Amino acid sequence: MPWPVTRRLIGTRIQRLDGIEKATGRAKYSFDINRPRMLHARMLRSPHAHATIKTIDSAAAEKTAGFRGIYLIKKAGAELFFAGDEILAICADTEEHAEDCLRAIRVEYNVQQHVVKEADSLTAQTNVTGGLGANNIVAAGDFATDNFDTVAFQGAAATHEASYGIAVISHQCLESHGLVAEWDAKQENLTVWASTQAVPNTAEGLRVHFKLKPGEVTCICNYMGGGFGSKFGPDIQGIAAAELARSTRQPVKLMLDRAEEVTVGGIRPSAYGTVKIGGTKEGRLTGYEVDCYGTGGVNRGPTVNFGLLPYVYGPSIPNVKRRHRVVRTNIQTARAMRAPGHPQNAILTEQVLDDLAARLNINPMTLRLANLPPNDLAERQANPRTYPGQRADIYRTEIAIIRKMCSWDQAWHAPGQGGKGTIKTGLGMALHTWGGGGRGPNPTRVTINTDGTVVAQSSSQDLGTAHRTVMAIIVAEILGLQPTDITCIIGNSQHGPSTPSGGSTTCPGTSPAILKAVELAAEAMLTALAGRLNVQRNQLSIAPGVVVNAANNQRIPFRDACRQMGVPNVQANGDWPVQKDLQSNAVLREEWTTRLTNQGVGGVQIAEVKVDTETGVVRCSRFWTVQDCGLIINKLACESQVAGGIIMGLNYALYEECIYDRQTGRQVNPDMEFYKLGGIADMPNIYVHMHDMPERGVIGIGEPPTIGTAAAVGNAIFNAIGARVSHAPFTPERVLAALNNRQAQP
Amino acid sequence: MKNFAYFRPTTPEQAVALLEARWGNTEMLAGGTDLLTLQKQYIAQPARVVSLNAIGGLKTIAVGERSASIGAGVTLATISSHADLRRLFPALTMAASEIGGPQIRNMGTLGGNLCQRNRCWYFRDEHSPCLLRGGNSCSAIEGENKYHAIFTQNHRCVIASPSTLATGLIALGASAEVLGPQNRRRNVELAKFYTAPVGPNDREHSLAANELVTSVTIPVRGLNSAAYEVRQRQASDWPIVQVAVAFSGGRNGEKATGVRIVLGQVSPTPLLSETAARALEGRPINEANATAAGRAAVEGAKPLGQNGYKIRLVEVAVKRALMLAAGLPRYWEA
Repeated sequence: MPWPVTRRLIGTRIQRLDGIEKATGRAKYSFDINRPRMLHARMLRSPHAHATIKTIDSAAAEKTAGFRGIYLIKKAGAELFFAGDEILAICADTEEHAEDCLRAIRVEYNVQQHVVKEADSLTAQTNVTGGLGANNIVAAGDFATDNFDTVAFQGAAATHEASYGIAVISHQCLESHGLVAEWDAKQENLTVWASTQAVPNTAEGLRVHFKLKPGEVTCICNYMGGGFGSKFGPDIQGIAAAELARSTRQPVKLMLDRAEEVTVGGIRPSAYGTVKIGGTKEGRLTGYEVDCYGTGGVNRGPTVNFGLLPYVYGPSIPNVKRRHRVVRTNIQTARAMRAPGHPQNAILTEQVLDDLAARLNINPMTLRLANLPPNDLAERQANPRTYPGQRADIYRTEIAIIRKMCSWDQAWHAPGQGGKGTIKTGLGMALHTWGGGGRGPNPTRVTINTDGTVVAQSSSQDLGTAHRTVMAIIVAEILGLQPTDITCIIGNSQHGPSTPSGGSTTCPGTSPAILKAVELAAEAMLTALAGRLNVQRNQLSIAPGVVVNAANNQRIPFRDACRQMGVPNVQANGDWPVQKDLQSNAVLREEWTTRLTNQGVGGVQIAEVKVDTETGVVRCSRFWTVQDCGLIINKLACESQVAGGIIMGLNYALYEECIYDRQTGRQVNPDMEFYKLGGIADMPNIYVHMHDMPERGVIGIGEPPTIGTAAAVGNAIFNAIGARVSHAPFTPERVLAALNNRQAQP
Repeated sequence: MKNFAYFRPTTPEQAVALLEARWGNTEMLAGGTDLLTLQKQYIAQPARVVSLNAIGGLKTIAVGERSASIGAGVTLATISSHADLRRLFPALTMAASEIGGPQIRNMGTLGGNLCQRNRCWYFRDEHSPCLLRGGNSCSAIEGENKYHAIFTQNHRCVIASPSTLATGLIALGASAEVLGPQNRRRNVELAKFYTAPVGPNDREHSLAANELVTSVTIPVRGLNSAAYEVRQRQASDWPIVQVAVAFSGGRNGEKATGVRIVLGQVSPTPLLSETAARALEGRPINEANATAAGRAAVEGAKPLGQNGYKIRLVEVAVKRALMLAAGLPRYWEA
């Protein structure tokens, strides 16, 4: 069951099937769902960054017009760890009534000390953030290669040591978190319309909470407006909505408003660190040392990918020393965000490379080429298609392509030589890597009906990556049809299990199951048809638009062939082999994880910026990328997703930052006004080159294109003005400060 | 949002009759781009909202030989695309064309822009202490203040004046027609229209709570004028600083006279910089003189902990606004 060798549709540019629905508003997102008799819920949240609840008095709220129900999340005595922490939910006839009810609730707090700035948290001697531990450091890592202090920078022609960092940012999903919950008349079955990256997981989370039987919760997500790792389950607001729907016996909608989305919808952790690096005069790196810290808010999870520091080049740097501290702060919790840890790793690796290149007087592209992670030869021998065996080759090929795309040899100049005028131009690059392998279960059913219609169905979800179109392309490819001929039904937990859409796994996780399903369906169809036509099965084959009967050279139009099957429909299910078989059966494993799909990608990005040296305003004017992701299913969607990742990365580089007030402990910009995101006018021309490697099978593309973008922009600014802006986002005040520092130095 | 009674008068007199002598209980609604947000955030909690949108007389533009009059209800989009206004008053129309995005410009009005509330993020967060909401301290002075005022002397509240039309209109010598109770009309120079608020009963301007701006009159004097914003985003964003300038002559080596340089986003009110004007008065506009005027403009600035960088931005914005008004090359557009 390999991928077709000649591909009519797969790998071409195909418009997404639901583009018109989305553009016209006919596509209904969870936020758009309105059910008969539906109530609206809102949540009461802590206004304080750290407090305990003394008392909660809801008597007045319960007498407020429109009040229908209340669900207590926390009780008196409970500790609240950040401004926005959930206390209770209330539902009422309208959103406005619910808001009135919330404001009628009286809560008395014991306000406690808080810390919202990473550096304050790191230096505090005692635990002031709450929770366990003697101080605010909740996780730490230390690592050094042998004799690091004596050998790391021996033989180095130059070293560079500086501070780099990037701020806490918010997921800022365009469609906020939340769902609509509705119970059936007997209060036994629950249906939710959720904005989720994991349809079955969300149903399961609710099933467990309500102690229901399998199948009694249905989660539906036909469309969703953004999920970058923060929407994997029902969340507390989903549980609250379902609780309120049960207690009121009415459907309840609870979607976060914008301020809530920004303050509780999930953050990407910050990363700040001092980095020292050394290299020979030929540009071979001798040692890398980092001492970094960051916060994931109240979360204990990692803020950088510790094991992958230094990033990308780790395998070719002989001496490495790492020190990492995760500090707890009284801000919301971190949630996995598009390539967790990797963009931060790129910030702490890629920028110091360019600073060292400047000291060594080496072109930063040359420096990178001299330090690419080598091909893993043992791995290459075992399987030539896997990533480690060819990573240096992939990077080298991609760099050669991008070098021409952006005219690097002509356009790159030494740092600070960005032109004579006020506006300085600069180029900067960064590399990245990601896994992007998928697994099952992702059962997919393909039905071919006697009227010629074809339906593909699974429970998987479309985060906006055109997943329906992926299904349709694969099914149409095998059946000789067009993608528009296929009806794709997804986003319903009753369709069986599916894997969450996280970590760039949807396309590789689902596509082989789709392929298997459609191949089995085609087989069933041809078998049925052969019986009716009185020919051997092997005399029938599918060609574009027709079934070919080799017995008489007849070309039967697909629809006619369906009509002649003699059964109302044929149906087949496709899925991954079970995990046990994949582990024990090498042939099966090779087929599914190195031919049909694979994991591991490289990728290179180059930014061109224009820096106004009088105002510090940075504009990214052009952006190039070369990206591999194995076998591309839909080139148009793939290029679009890469551009989207870059847009996200540019916002990370230039605009985004959750700003917290030290005194109040509150975020001052929980909005889209001062939590800045670039608009169309702020975006560069983005040139995407997909480095197609079909022999490797399908690999996910979600995370890779957003990883190196901010670091590339940082390097481009350095190249333009000859001064390093140490912390992102690279805002006017920071750029001006860097320019002032440069002038202040001899 | 707190429930409110809604009124929709059809004449300015009817509207004024619906207003109250104290701020807060009754609010005027024009484009709604500011008031509705404030209401949703419970920063404004009026019991009565008086819509000005059925008052036809507020939406006219009349351009005469000696002056032009723009109704307070004229939208920002109309101002930015009006051919006569663009020819006569670039300082106004350039600023209007840069406000927010198309949606804001299609809804927002001249009167609303001049009378809008400040954008301080502490003022707009009901859980943060704020003098203007009755608190006894200002959160910005020791807090997050990178967008706040840099001319802070004698100010307990350090908001930055938000109106980008006010600067241009002050530079052009415009005045507001104000209607009060009992049909009392007064004409206020926009240069004297703004006041720095210190408490919950103050606004960012000197209008009484029962007064209404009906129109703005701009003298036609053949001035060269321009406005320049330093903004981080090209798409919808607030300027970090904004400057409007106007003067007679000044081009092609000719002396500039009657120089007016107005700074926005740098103090609680738009700041008519006399030091900057003096530095330029009687001199031709060129890059060197414009640079000197920029330096003079920031004399006496006393920034807060995080906004010292705005001093540099004011210098640059003054220089660029002057060069734009003088028709000199836009050296910053490479």
